[in-house]
Amino acid sequence: MSHSAPGLNYLNHAKGFKSWALTLDHKRIGIMYMVAVSLAFLAGGILAILVRLELLGPGETIMGPDTYNQSFTLHAVLMVFAFIIPAVPAVMGNFVLPIQLGAKDVAFPRLNLASLYIYLIGAVIVMFALVNGRIDGGWTFYAPYSTSIGNGILFVTAGVFVMGFSSILTGLNFIVTVHKMRAPGLTWNRLPLFIWSIYATSIVQVLATPVIGITVLLLFLEKAFSIGIFDPALGGDPVLFQHFFWFYSHPAVYIMILPAFGVISDLMGTFSRHQVSGYKFVALSSVAIAFLGFLVWGHHMFVSGQSAVSSVVLSLITYLIGIPTGVKVINWVQTMYRGSVQLKSPMLYAIMFLFTFSIGGFTGIMLGVLAIDVHLHDTYFVVAHFHYVMMGGNVIAALGGLHYWWPKMFGKMYNETLAKIAAFLVFFGFNLTFFPQFIMGAQGMPRRYYDYLPQYEFYHELSTYGSWVLAAGLFLIMFYMIASLINGKKAGLNPWGALTLEWTHTTTPPDHHNFHDTPVVTRGAYDFHLAKHLFEYGGEVTELDLGGDGTAAAPEEAPVPNEPVA
Amino acid sequence: MSQDHGHHIVPVKMLLAVIGILVFLTILTVALAQVELGIFEVPVALSIALTKAGFVVMIFMALKWDNKVNATILAVGVLCVLIFISFILIDTEFRGDLSNTTEATIMDEQRMEQTLDGREPDRSDISFNRQ
Amino acid sequence: MANPHTNQPAHVKHYFVSSEQQFDAAKMGMWLFLVTEILLFSGMFVAYTIYRSWHPETWMALSTALDWKLGGLNTLVLLASSFTVAMGINQIQRGNQKGLLLNLVLTFVFAGIFLVVKYFEYSAKIEHGLLPGASFDPHGVSHGFDYATYNVPYGPQFFSIYFVMTGIHGFHVLVGMGLFAWITWKAKNGAFSADYYTPVENCGLYWHLVDIIWIFLFPLLYLI
Repeated sequence: MSHSAPGLNYLNHAKGFKSWALTLDHKRIGIMYMVAVSLAFLAGGILAILVRLELLGPGETIMGPDTYNQSFTLHAVLMVFAFIIPAVPAVMGNFVLPIQLGAKDVAFPRLNLASLYIYLIGAVIVMFALVNGRIDGGWTFYAPYSTSIGNGILFVTAGVFVMGFSSILTGLNFIVTVHKMRAPGLTWNRLPLFIWSIYATSIVQVLATPVIGITVLLLFLEKAFSIGIFDPALGGDPVLFQHFFWFYSHPAVYIMILPAFGVISDLMGTFSRHQVSGYKFVALSSVAIAFLGFLVWGHHMFVSGQSAVSSVVLSLITYLIGIPTGVKVINWVQTMYRGSVQLKSPMLYAIMFLFTFSIGGFTGIMLGVLAIDVHLHDTYFVVAHFHYVMMGGNVIAALGGLHYWWPKMFGKMYNETLAKIAAFLVFFGFNLTFFPQFIMGAQGMPRRYYDYLPQYEFYHELSTYGSWVLAAGLFLIMFYMIASLINGKKAGLNPWGALTLEWTHTTTPPDHHNFHDTPVVTRGAYDFHLAKHLFEYGGEVTELDLGGDGTAAAPEEAPVPNEPVA
Repeated sequence: MSQDHGHHIVPVKMLLAVIGILVFLTILTVALAQVELGIFEVPVALSIALTKAGFVVMIFMALKWDNKVNATILAVGVLCVLIFISFILIDTEFRGDLSNTTEATIMDEQRMEQTLDGREPDRSDISFNRQ
Repeated sequence: MANPHTNQPAHVKHYFVSSEQQFDAAKMGMWLFLVTEILLFSGMFVAYTIYRSWHPETWMALSTALDWKLGGLNTLVLLASSFTVAMGINQIQRGNQKGLLLNLVLTFVFAGIFLVVKYFEYSAKIEHGLLPGASFDPHGVSHGFDYATYNVPYGPQFFSIYFVMTGIHGFHVLVGMGLFAWITWKAKNGAFSADYYTPVENCGLYWHLVDIIWIFLFPLLYLI
């Protein structure tokens, strides 16, 4: 292949709208996904702020009940389908995965670009329907209510169906890429844990997403032609809809959280400067979670009227999920204990994750207990639980990953001081928003209600104040990230001293073709005991002491790392 | 160059044999459907269909000579379908097995129980609101 | 035809090391796609299983409403088309482009026959009101048979499942015809050889899956 001139990278080697809109480069597709997904997060986030504002006091605060119902539905649908599911796999997976594998691109670049456009089309259809269609049943679209609320549901189901395709194509692409495109010497035991978790995620995406496809198709037909599969008035079974829906949507929870595990594993290794403890267990626990995730969907349906046998069996299997998850958390703590922790902003998010995700995880097991769930079902306890997992798990990890790979993506460092302030605001605001919801949930505050008894007012107030702090933190991140693009310091080749291929074998930002020569891998992804040796001969950074903002360690005119590390 | 790397060519004779078997099995399953088989009707029809599908997968789709990864992918997919069906059946086959889904209060139930105890075991007048 | 930079045949993309890697990747991707198709259809098979286990008498009564002769004919047509696809791949693996072309055209024709038969089946059902869900209204007399006798409880569910299953399957046949039209065109222009026939292989895999789905649909709906 033609070697690019020095100074040219994937961002500036070609210019103009067409060079982005028709690109097959996984890095550019990842960046475009990032823009799209961030917009969805922004829209969903603003709705969340409005919903919280409405709940500041009992009765009407800023919007009427109908608007409220539509707002939380729109918030949920945007966050679940348009933000969290593609957030880590499609953004960081696309950008990082092929480079970490030592590949020039994913296996099917055209499919990759197609998945972006399919995602955009689906998102537009869903947005259109939600804004015009008066959809107010929450993101789960339970039949028969969802088929009785106007024709907007036709568009929502069509949009979710289309976005599902995008998810399937991404997953399929990554599985084949991991199997067939690894660099010479990159055995399964040497794969970065981020790859392992994206791989497990992709398996779930490929196996579960088709079922939501047929589910929303049947819902579409139920609405359009009254086919009577789900509608009890026509002889159908509404519980069957819940089975279909959760057969996808429970594994989808792992589509959301597994990539976060991968990001956290990478951060733990790099910033503890130590081999991730129990590497094989952490890697295989991702696959175990992916598999177990298919066996537990019935725990969403304990009070739906499903059989007691089913509830008991699925409750038991739910406990098993705690085992591989616990294996991960314990190994991360062990890694920090053995290593020497550097409190850079990405690592702050990783540590934050240990707290918030553990709370989310443990309350998840509580909700999996049959007897407790009957009491807590459809209360704010559930709302708090899944926000601790989704936001405290996925979003926190995604923010950590964003701070970690940002210098690689754009070649610029953000302001580390502001980043630490923002991390604190996010942590504080997040807990202030959602912890009170556990308490009022346990006291019986039902979810999705527009109005509430005065006894819950204190907790609702706390929660709303928390949402402002959280929003301030997130907007601060947006501010300094954009500012870094304009006047950020130039990032070095390897500001964190990480050992995965995207840091050791590519320029910053990476070349259009990722590598000048295909790397040959001779070590594991976290062999930090070899780091001294590697950096002395690899020529990326002159020393391992990464004081200050991390950029000082890299020489201004660093040699292009085109020699595979021997 | 692909041939050098050992893409298996399924011989024409084998393809002809398989299409022969498939046609025979189709006729067989139609013929058996005309006979009264009772409870064996569904298992027989399904096993014939599975056999046919097996021939198509192994010979026509050449999975027999293919990369093991592809066979694993198919196996995992089929496993998922089995989980899907069987776990829903755990619910639907036992639907309504909860004994406390009656509309009667606990007091009512106690009273009914006492009535039962004091009489011959004729339960027809006690209606538990079961599905 | 070799790519001057990599000394690879022209069909090999630059991010692949070899033709073999590209072929394996494409085929693995196709198998993964087939698994998603299996899971898509599995939803309908689950609905079938559940409703059949709840209302077996309806299912046994209404399977007689479907014409096993037409269904059987369609089974044979699809089996034949699967055979021609397999033959086509056999031919191109031996470098016989004309043999491939002949078999692809035959496959396309068989798929067309399948849809024509399906059209006649659907018309008969629609004429007598054997329709899904709320539209279910069996009526009329044909060949001395009164269709009103099909008006049994849960009949609407049976026909919902029948139409959705065969409808999605029919859609896949239609997509398959599109795919075969495309690769027939390419084959006519000599795009395939013993070295490169990946699209034929993958369209073939897709077509066999469509055949397998029908292998299950036929006995489940028409016979038992």
